[in-house]
Amino acid sequence: MQIDVTGAKILFELPFGITITETQVNMWIVMAAIAAFCAWLTHGLKVRPESKRQIVAEFLVKTAENFVTGNMGKRWKWFTPYIAALFSLAMFSSLISLLGMYPPTSDLNTTVGWAIMTFILITFYKIKTNGVLGYAKGLTEPIFVMTPMNILGEIATPVSMAFRMFGNVASGTVVSALLYAALAALNNAVFGWLPGILGEMGEKLPILQLGIPAVLSLYFDVFSGVLQAFIFCMLTMLYIASAAEASD
Amino acid sequence: MITMAGTLDFLSVNVWHILMAIGNLLILVLILKKFLFKPVQKILKEREDEIGKTYSDADKALSEANAEKELYQKKLDDAKSEADSLIKTASERAKAESAEIISAAKTEAERRRKNADEDIELAKKKAAEEMRDSISEMVISLAEQVVEKEIDQKSHASLIDDAIESLGE
Repeated sequence: MQIDVTGAKILFELPFGITITETQVNMWIVMAAIAAFCAWLTHGLKVRPESKRQIVAEFLVKTAENFVTGNMGKRWKWFTPYIAALFSLAMFSSLISLLGMYPPTSDLNTTVGWAIMTFILITFYKIKTNGVLGYAKGLTEPIFVMTPMNILGEIATPVSMAFRMFGNVASGTVVSALLYAALAALNNAVFGWLPGILGEMGEKLPILQLGIPAVLSLYFDVFSGVLQAFIFCMLTMLYIASAAEASD
Repeated sequence: MITMAGTLDFLSVNVWHILMAIGNLLILVLILKKFLFKPVQKILKEREDEIGKTYSDADKALSEANAEKELYQKKLDDAKSEADSLIKTASERAKAESAEIISAAKTEAERRRKNADEDIELAKKKAAEEMRDSISEMVISLAEQVVEKEIDQKSHASLIDDAIESLGE
């Protein structure tokens, strides 16, 4: 018995060795869905709201703004769209697995890309607050020989963020695949011994695979997907806010 | 782990894919800004402005109403005091007029009484004069009778009695 756990399927090959995989296509589908949803929510807004759509739109904006300003402070209100985009993209990229599609967040490249963005922002605000020299000096503290350790610490932040999210979503896929295989084997074992045509039907019908994976998928796809998106956003906000504040 | 043709490894790193993930994230930021945050923030701002305008309008209307109320109160007070003064002057004038009328009546009555007194006096005088005239006439006629006729004591006496009797009439 062979269980394959692979990455995204390559769908197109472009010049210069660029490949378009399920990761990119599914992410674009998620982005298009989010864009369509937002456009639908916010068309025909009125100063005096008449539609439930508008109330939902205002609720989403207010919640996102409160989420960001509550964690980062009032002056970071402008940062809300980035966190909202990160959260919605991460969450729906994970939840898309519920539709049987490949979740882009189980591709390491995706989470590494987002973690690099966070790392760039952290470093940018550290340098902006302390100056280039201050930032460089901060790496040599408390003593000069600690510099490699400090650099490692800086890099560990995005690496741990990227692998945390990737690991959670991808492991869900792996566990789901293993579980399906195990249930299929169990299905054969339980129903395969039945005589005649009943045995053949029992082997082919995925009876045991019907309900049990749904319970695990509730954790791996829904709970874990939302939680990891939340954690990624929280860490991004807290790291950036503290990078901008740690002036001395 | 088996890598099939046309799929990525379970763990694979591809710079283009990393860049595309970053690009997708940044594009979604712009999409959310354009389709969600900008329109909603615009409408929230407009609502805030409208509420502010409503409040200031209400304040303005209230202060205007208060000013008008004050104006009307003042007018009412003025009217009241004017009415009071009107009544006062009217009653004063009435009092003065009544006093005038009474005094006029008094003087008229006085005048009439005086006239009456004068008339009486005049009548008295007249009567006295008439009496004097008639007495003198009588005396003259008596004297004539005395002169023309020789009369006795008896006729004297009767003449005198007649004269007195005629006086008494």
